[in-house]
This record gives sequence, C-alpha cells and structure tokens, in this order.
Amino acid sequence: MLKYILKRIGYMLIVLVILSFLMFMIYNLVPSNRAYTDAKADVQSRKQLMQGMTEEQKENYFNDLYLEYQRQYGTDTDNLLIRYLRWVGVSPLYYGNYNGLLQGNLGYSHEYDKPVVEVIVEPMKNTIFINIFATILALVITIPLGIVCAVRKGKKLDQAVQVGSIIGYSLPTFIIAILFIWIFCSVLKIFPTSGMSTPGSNYTGWKWFTDTMYYLALPLITMTFCSLGGMTRYVRASMIDALSMDCIRTARAKGVKEKVVIYSHAFRNALIPIVTLVVGWFLGIFAGSLIFEDMFGLNGMGKIMIQALRTADFDLVILLQLFYVAISLIGNLIIDLVYGLVDPRVRVSK
Amino acid sequence: MSKKNNETKASRWGKRAVVGGSKQMADEMEKKGSVEEIVSPIRQIVRNYRERKLAMVALFIVIAMFLLVFVGPLFIDNYTDIYKESLMQNMPPTLSLMSVPDELANDIKMIDSYSNFSVGLSNSGKVYVWGSTALGTTGKDMEDIPEEILNDKIAYVAAGYDHALAISEEGKVYAWGANKLGQYGYFDPAEFPNIVSMPDEILNGTIDVANIKKVTCGYQCSAILMNDGTLYIWGNKNTYANIDKFVGKDDLVDIDFTLNYIVGVGKLRNGVFAGQRGLYDQYHATFTDKAVAASDFLNGRKIQSIAATCDNICMLLDDGSVCYTGNFNTGLVETPTLAADEDFISLGAGARHYTALTNKGNVYSWGANVLGQADVDENAQGASDIYVGSFQSYAVDESGELQGSWGYKGAIFGTDKYGANVFHRIIHGGKMTMTIGAIAVIISTIIGVIIGCISGYFGGKVDMILMRVTEIFAAIPFLPFALILSAVMAQMDISENAKIFLLMCILGVLTWTGLARMVRGQVLAARENEYVTAAKAIGVKESRIAFRHILPNIVSIIFVTLTLDFATCMLTESSLSYLGFGVNYPRPTWGNMLNGANNSTIITHFWWQWVFPSLFLAITCICINIVGDTLRDVMDPKSDRDK
Repeated sequence: MLKYILKRIGYMLIVLVILSFLMFMIYNLVPSNRAYTDAKADVQSRKQLMQGMTEEQKENYFNDLYLEYQRQYGTDTDNLLIRYLRWVGVSPLYYGNYNGLLQGNLGYSHEYDKPVVEVIVEPMKNTIFINIFATILALVITIPLGIVCAVRKGKKLDQAVQVGSIIGYSLPTFIIAILFIWIFCSVLKIFPTSGMSTPGSNYTGWKWFTDTMYYLALPLITMTFCSLGGMTRYVRASMIDALSMDCIRTARAKGVKEKVVIYSHAFRNALIPIVTLVVGWFLGIFAGSLIFEDMFGLNGMGKIMIQALRTADFDLVILLQLFYVAISLIGNLIIDLVYGLVDPRVRVSK
Repeated sequence: MSKKNNETKASRWGKRAVVGGSKQMADEMEKKGSVEEIVSPIRQIVRNYRERKLAMVALFIVIAMFLLVFVGPLFIDNYTDIYKESLMQNMPPTLSLMSVPDELANDIKMIDSYSNFSVGLSNSGKVYVWGSTALGTTGKDMEDIPEEILNDKIAYVAAGYDHALAISEEGKVYAWGANKLGQYGYFDPAEFPNIVSMPDEILNGTIDVANIKKVTCGYQCSAILMNDGTLYIWGNKNTYANIDKFVGKDDLVDIDFTLNYIVGVGKLRNGVFAGQRGLYDQYHATFTDKAVAASDFLNGRKIQSIAATCDNICMLLDDGSVCYTGNFNTGLVETPTLAADEDFISLGAGARHYTALTNKGNVYSWGANVLGQADVDENAQGASDIYVGSFQSYAVDESGELQGSWGYKGAIFGTDKYGANVFHRIIHGGKMTMTIGAIAVIISTIIGVIIGCISGYFGGKVDMILMRVTEIFAAIPFLPFALILSAVMAQMDISENAKIFLLMCILGVLTWTGLARMVRGQVLAARENEYVTAAKAIGVKESRIAFRHILPNIVSIIFVTLTLDFATCMLTESSLSYLGFGVNYPRPTWGNMLNGANNSTIITHFWWQWVFPSLFLAITCICINIVGDTLRDVMDPKSDRDK
C-alpha cells in the first residue's frame, strides 16, 4: 500500500511539473514585460534626478535599470527553459541566488501590491467553506432522492426526476444563477443580490455568522441546485446497478426485509461509485464555483482569478492555476485510495 | 472487381456502423423463410427511438433550432453585428409600434413620435398613445394619459423621447411621462443648473392656440413656436447643450430637434441656426453630393421648412427641392428624383429617415432603410397629408382616414442595451454558438478517437504513454484553464476570427480525454472478437484493423458521446463568453448576450434581454442531451431487457 501511495505521489509530481511547465509557457505568450514597465516607472519617478542628463545618458540610465530589473526577475535570458527553472527555483539567478517557488517566493501581485500568498489566504478560506457547505447540502438531498428513484424505477416520480435532472444538468450554471437572483431577489425580495456581509457592518460571533449565512444563502442554494441534476442521476444509476446484483436477489429470496435490502445490502454496493463521485465532484466544484463567486460578488478564489485575468495580474493567475491543478491531482489520488478502502475487491497495490 | 471494390469502399463505413456484419446472413435467412422477423440494428434503434415521445419532440426541436440558426440568418436583411440605435435602447418585446388605434384610424388630426411610442390626436380632440409605452426603469407608462387631458379638447400633441405634450383648444399646455430631467414642470434654476424650466406663462397660464405654428419635442426637451416667431423652449441642457441660445428667441420660422442639437430657421430663411458657427453651413443636394457653402448653395433661394433626423437636417426650399446638412451614415437610400413639374410640398423626418409628399400626391421615403422605413406602402400614394414618426410614416387622406403606414413594427423579443433587435442577435448568436460547439466537438472527437484507437489496439508501451498523456490532460481543471488560455489569447495581437478559431481549438483540446478513454475501452473489448482474429489471419495491416475493422463497430457509441459533448461544448463556450473571455461584443453568441445580466436592473426591468437568450440556450442544450441520452439507451441492447 505504502509503495503504491509513494508511486502515485511520484507520478503526481511529474504531472505537476509538466503542467506547471505548460502553464509557464502559456504565461510567457502574454506580451507583458514587468522589468520594462518597472524600469519605465522608476525613470518616471526619478525625473528630478535625471534633469541634468543628456538624451544619451538618460537612455543609458534606463537601460541599466532595465537590465538590473531583468536580472532581479530572472528574465535576462531568452531561454524559456532557464526562465522556467529560475521560476521554480532550481536554477540560480544572475547573482547566483535562488528565488523561486521552492524558496517560497510564490510571486507578487501588482494589482493588490502584496505578495500573492497574502492575497489569496482570505478568499481561499471562503471558497473552501462555501464548497464544503454546498457539497454537504447537495449530498443530503441527492442520495435519498437517487435511492428512491432507483427503487421506484420507471414510476411517475422517477420519470419526473429524470426529466428534471436532465434539465438541471443541461442548464448552464449562470442561467440558473440569474433565474434564482430574479426569483429570490427581485420577485420575493428575500435575499441580497451580492456581497458577503452587510456593508459597513462589523459583527462578531453569532451575529457575524447569521449575517454571513444570510448573504451566502442564495449562492449556496444555487450551487446546491446546480449539482442536483448530475448527482441524482449518478446515484440512481449506481443504485440500479447495485439492485440488479445477484446478492440482492439472494437476500430477497432469503426473505430479508425490503428496507434492509435497499439500505444495507444495495446501498453499500452503490456507495463505491458514489464515493468516487463525491470526491471528484467536491474538487470539481472548486473550479465550478468560479462563476458563482463572480456572479454573487463573493470574495473567493474564483473571483480573485477572474479579476486577475481581467487586469492581467498573471503572477496571481498562475499561482491560482497551480492550486487548481494540485487540487485536481490530489483529488485523483484520494479517489484511488478511497476506492481501495471502500471496495476491498479493488487491490490498489497492483 | 475494382468497380465493386470502390463501391464498397465508399459505403463500407456507414454500412458497417448501420447494418452490422450480419446483414448478409439476415438476408439469407429471410430468403429461406425464417419465422422470426429479423430487423437490422439501425432499424431496431430507429424503432425504439420513435417509441419515445419525449425524445422525438427533443429531436424535432434540435433540428428546428439548427434550421433556425443556420437558415434563419439568410432571411434577416440589414443585419450587422455593430448595429446600434440610441433611441431604441432596452425596448420591451412589442410589434405595436405602428398599430394606430382603430378609433383614431379614420379620424386623424396629427401623429407624432420621437422614440418608441407614438402620440396621435383625433379631429374630435382626443389623444391616443400606442407603441412601446413603458418608460425604462422609471415605472411610468405613457399609456397612463392624465385624466385632464382625456377630458379636455386637445388641439396639438407632440411626443418626445420619454414625455409627451398636449395643448388644449383653450391654450392650456399639458405634459405627461417622465419628468425627472426637466421634461416638464417647474425646476428651480439654483437647484438644477442643467435644466431650463418650463416658462411661467405655460406653467400657470395659457397660450394663444390659433397662433401656434409648431409644437415639437426632442430628447427630454420641448419647444412651442408661435406664428409671430416667439419660441417657448424648455428641457434638459445635458442633452441639448445649445438650448441657451434658443431661450427667449423671437425671430424663428421653424424649429426641430436632432439628437444633440436644436436647429431653427430664422426670419431671413437663409440658413440653419444652431447657435454655433460652422456647425450646419455646408449643404448637399443629395446625401453623397459634394458639400457647398450655405450661401453659395442657396443662391437666393429661401428655406421653407426644415426637418431633422438624429444626425442630419433636410431643408425644403421655396423652389420645391430639398437639400441637406449634417452628418450622413453610409447605406442610405438616396433622395428621389422628381419629374420636372413635380415639387415637394411637405416634408417630415423620423429618427433616421425622411418622408415627403409632392404636389401630385406622390409619397416618397428615403434615408435609412434598416428598419424598413423607406419602403413606402403602395396604398399611401395620393395621400393628402403625411405624418412621420421616429421609425414609421403614416399617410392620411383628406377625410383624416389612415391610407397606409410603413416602417418599423417593433422587435418581437425586444431590443438590447444598444438598441439592437434581440431576436436577430439570438439567431446570429446561435449560429456562432453552434458553430463553435460543433467544431470544438469535431476536434475533440478526432483527437479522442485517434488516441483511443491507437492506445486500445496496440496496448503495451504505446497504451501506457498515451494513457499518461490522457491523464495529464484530464487533470487540467477545465474552466480555469480555458479562462487563462482565452485571457492570454485576448492579449495577443490576432484577428477576431483567429481568436474564435483558437477558442474552438481550446475547447476541443481540453475535452477529448473522456472519449479517448471510452474508445480505448471499447477497442480493448472489440480486439478479442473473431473478426479481428480473422483479419489478422488474412494478414491485414494492424493500423487497418484498428481504424477500418474495429472503429466502424464502435461508431454508434462515439456518435452518442459526440452528441452529449456538443451540448457541453456549447455550454462551456457560453460560460466563457458570459464571463467575457470567449467571443466578445459586437459578435453575438448566446453566452455573451447574457454578459452583464446578473445586474438587478436588467433582471427585473429588462427581462427580455436575458430570458430569451437563456431560453434558446437552455432548450437547445436540454434537447440535445435528451436526444443523446435516449440514443444511448436505445443503442444499448441491455436496456431493452430492463424494460
């Protein structure tokens, strides 16, 4: 088992390196030159100092500054591989020092004028909180619904849920969000349209919690609703598979109560794909919540990412991107491991 | 031999996928007179499919949508992506812009309009309003004509952008509609420096109705011109900066409003007065003629009357000809050339077009024809009077009966924030959305099938490497990655078409992994079949076996995935465009038409701007998914047993 995990982690790291390289290349396609803009800005701010200089001196002064910045940022070479290695922190900069991801330099956000880590700490907390909450809500609804549909397959309720869930997963999330904003904010006027807390408020403790929940209610309802369709179908499908197994027939033949058959025998077997789904879906929602955060004005990672993309704050973007990739890789690993735990037949060590 | 070979080559793929290998056997058995009816797989699939009503309806809708977005654009004339019409912004769905009320239609005294609603007056002094009467977000409706106007006998009406004016026969001036920006009522100059308030004599007194020459309204501004040249004018300075030049003026013989300027003609009738030198002093005989200085052009002729559209002015001269000044768009219908003894006797201007009546009773419309303003109704000829609305023209006979009307009826799905027809944009946007979805799905299918086939058939190291590559691609979080790619693409200096093509590629390259895995699984299973062994034994090349023998047998499953992926790609494109990282304005797609719709003003007040694009996108995706799901069910022989 341990060997398998180590192997998987090693493999994961390789994928991470490849993907980070890919992303670094994409990032380098952007025609932006930070050393140049910084040097230009410095020249602008030091106008007084440069008053007595001739044009040529000014030119030289600027070029020196530019080169200095390039060396500092590690962009004084056109070789993309070396730049990548410097970014990771494996290859030394001009002055022989290392300053990359491995040294803890995750980048600097120019839009916020703060190190990237400081920018994303708060949003990350929010995103994780929202996602966990929405996942739990969705599970509480979809698992019983899926089971009921599977047991009453082909009945009216099942057909209705089938049609409803097709509609649910065919609708783009942003349309559902607009619809819900219309229903809950414009028609019923129960929830606020956007934001995470009452503007200007400074609540603490219980008051803070209720206020936050009041603001988060609509996004959470929307997120839960959006995931109902796909998850219900999945639970139903795996439950149907489980119900058609031989052991179920045997259990029924023995005279086991139908409830026990469904919830004890069949559901346990159906749990295996569901666990996979839940983990995968929980990770997928990180990327999916991007749209919700943007729509409802929540201070989450998705919103930060979209803003960073709009303002071309690419240090921030690339780190968030790495985070998403890492989350998805870790997710795959967890799925594989959990699979082995839930289903003893799967021998992960092979 | 070779001929037969060619024939089979062309149809082999389809035949295998459709009929399966057992067709010949089935035929032979049929000849022998077998008892059981043997149905080819495709027929069985079609039969099963047709049994499902919901799926049939869905298929029908999908086909209808395809036809609508790919054939529909051919029937929409005058569509351009960048079309904007400032007077028609956020107009609700209506087709009533030209529907004169029946009561009024045989008793017309006058009709006027400046934007989406029209005001009419009957000879009996009753006021009527029609068109798109709700005024944006103000909650006011022009249809709510105040009681006192309905009870009074009205002599003049005029309609502005969001207000209207009515003057009773006793000379009382009424107004209704929006009045936050100086349209009517009293505004304290100290508090509202940018508003010229209604003159006192109009607010509190009456004016001499018999002496009125012209009543006209513009964009939040109104003017009453008397026969002796006195002008009453009030309104919003922010829309008409030159209003100050007109306040207190008493030597005008005509006045009208363009979109940004008030224009008048002085007693000398030798030029257009706008309170600013050099603004309107270059005249043209037609839209495209060379400009000539005003005095040279007129050469002693006098201006009889003027009519102003949003951006240019037409002058009717005393010799019965017309000339223009101002700015001209391209694509205008040119001024009609009259016979030698024919003269224009009356002239009216809409927002973008002119309509004129000649002394022979002929009616001509020219100028912009994007909304059909210049297509004169045949019944209109021989009219005795014409009235010109913003985008409509009405011809009236001697008794006041409506002879004909032509122009813009309205937009069935309303207009967007730029004033463009939402329905037209939905059709053109659907074309873009579906094209992107289709090409992306084709790209992803090609990659997926090739990699899946190779990986499944050859196995071993090839399989290992390809599956690792697949896993890397599958590990990419889709939406963030698509976002970053589109953002990078937006920064690059390439044409819009190239960007759209790249977008298709991005979507295609990021979605092929699922299909590749599935094809690989299918190929792995199919590889063990006897016919593959047989092909190997004959000595058929391996690549040929993979692509020519195995692939046709799994085409049906690929087809199902393709259908479902098509919906997914459309949704992804819409999400990207919605966020502003896909296709950008002015090019419409169903996604970017919703860009900015998460704003409560649009959601509540301008519902048509998000409801219709959402409906089209949602219905199309739902139907495609239903079709795909049902196909999967009917193709799966197991599901039959379950029933």
